Amino acid sequence: MSGVRALRVYLLLAGAAFRAEFQYRGNLFINILGGLFYQGVGLAFIWAVLDRFGQVGGWGLSEIAFLYGLRLTAHGLWLLPGHQLVHIDEVVIEGEYDRYLIRPVSPLVQLLTRRLRLSALGDLAGGAVLLALASARAPVDWSPGAVGFLLLAVMGGALVEGSLQLAASALAFRMKQVAPIKFAIDMIFSDFGNYPLKIFGTAAGFGLTFVFPLAFVAYLPATVLLDREDELAVPVWLGWGAPVAGVLLMYAAYRFWERQTRSYESSGH
Amino acid sequence: MKAHLACARMEFRVALTYRSSYLSTFVMMLLQIYLLTVVWSAFYDGREEMDGIPLATMTAYATLSTLQYTLVNPWRSSPIEQRVREGKVAVDLLRPIGFPGQMLSGQVGWVSASVPVLLVALPFALLIGAGSAPASVAAGFAYPLALLGALLVSQLLGLLLGMVAFWTLEVSGALMAYRFVAQFFSGALVPLWFMPGPVRAAAQWLPFQATAYTPAAIYLGQAEGTGILAALGVQCAWVVVLGALAALVWSRARQRVLSQGG
Repeated sequence: MSGVRALRVYLLLAGAAFRAEFQYRGNLFINILGGLFYQGVGLAFIWAVLDRFGQVGGWGLSEIAFLYGLRLTAHGLWLLPGHQLVHIDEVVIEGEYDRYLIRPVSPLVQLLTRRLRLSALGDLAGGAVLLALASARAPVDWSPGAVGFLLLAVMGGALVEGSLQLAASALAFRMKQVAPIKFAIDMIFSDFGNYPLKIFGTAAGFGLTFVFPLAFVAYLPATVLLDREDELAVPVWLGWGAPVAGVLLMYAAYRFWERQTRSYESSGH
Repeated sequence: MKAHLACARMEFRVALTYRSSYLSTFVMMLLQIYLLTVVWSAFYDGREEMDGIPLATMTAYATLSTLQYTLVNPWRSSPIEQRVREGKVAVDLLRPIGFPGQMLSGQVGWVSASVPVLLVALPFALLIGAGSAPASVAAGFAYPLALLGALLVSQLLGLLLGMVAFWTLEVSGALMAYRFVAQFFSGALVPLWFMPGPVRAAAQWLPFQATAYTPAAIYLGQAEGTGILAALGVQCAWVVVLGALAALVWSRARQRVLSQGG
């Protein structure tokens, strides 16, 4: 199936899911609030402690807020289309995947559009507002190039997080139950991603860059934008190249997903 | 009493069937302890102490409060919402013991299913984070009491919140928002002693600190002598207030169920 057609079908199905979700406006609003509070607590923790300690790893509140905003925007940008992967376990176990196989649309597109969780809009909006506020206060020279890099970095970050979730979801075809793995991945992105990586020390820092690519989501791009290249344990070009890492990882994850789907065995309907 | 025990046993078994959530509880708890330990060390940045709190006390606090949190504030704060939504509440009401009692003992059974995970995780937690003996003999004796108090306060809060389901059926978003506000003000992440002034004042006047901060602070000697008694007294007061409130709300909620035809 061609990419253009897949995109068109995706937008069509996502539009339908959006309209379905929009029927329950009150609930939608409250769910967005719920999502915002989840992220707000992490920020409240850092704010409260920084109020006393001043800095962490040499980063002050405005720099941490920038890092947080970048990470959160990328997270929201990924979550809006990708949330339904959360349900991969039940889709595989209960044989809902059977249905996807008999329709003339990519099963992954059908999975992603089975519903739309608009609470991700809360993460996205919260992240964007935080990022905008923090960008104004952070010591960054906002040339058009820097703004462009920031936008690419957000998209790259979304792809990095998405690629890991997609790869973990692909394991469901063999392992059946991958929710705990995916929760842990989500937690590492959401909680570990808010701090400058150098506080974790050399070994964990290396692991969180090359084994679990957390650094590419926000830390590396934020470090080069904030002119803090000196603290990097990796070459600077890796920081500027972070958005590319997202594209490569997502490509690899998608290939992995395609391979794993062949292991699907129906539960029988 | 026997009937309540049966309710507890039933929910204990239900909780045990969610094996994968068991595993994720374990992994997340250890990750959280690791993260908090690293982050607090980075905040201290070589300083011996901050406001009289040494780093070792802080990491021990983070370890203890994370372990406690799993036990005292499980992700399901009350079974009521689910039972109302699925209509099982009708069966519950037909049972010859009171509804709030059934729900409370059921939830206690559910919560106690995390005890085995905690026991297995404890050595790992001490390895990753930091352990410490109780600050004093008094602290050692008061800690179990404070933990019980924390459990009671959080159960009553969960019960109250769960009963909201009798009025509005869909509460997941609101529950989520509530959870995170409660988590922050409980002191599970930032102990009250490091909160900025106005926030600390708010935390002191809210019931949530009784569910996490109080037992950990007692254990680590941050509340001493009469301070321990005062902290336990505050917990008791909250148990009484929330218990009375729960009784009141239940008397209203019950009318509500009857008017729906049960």
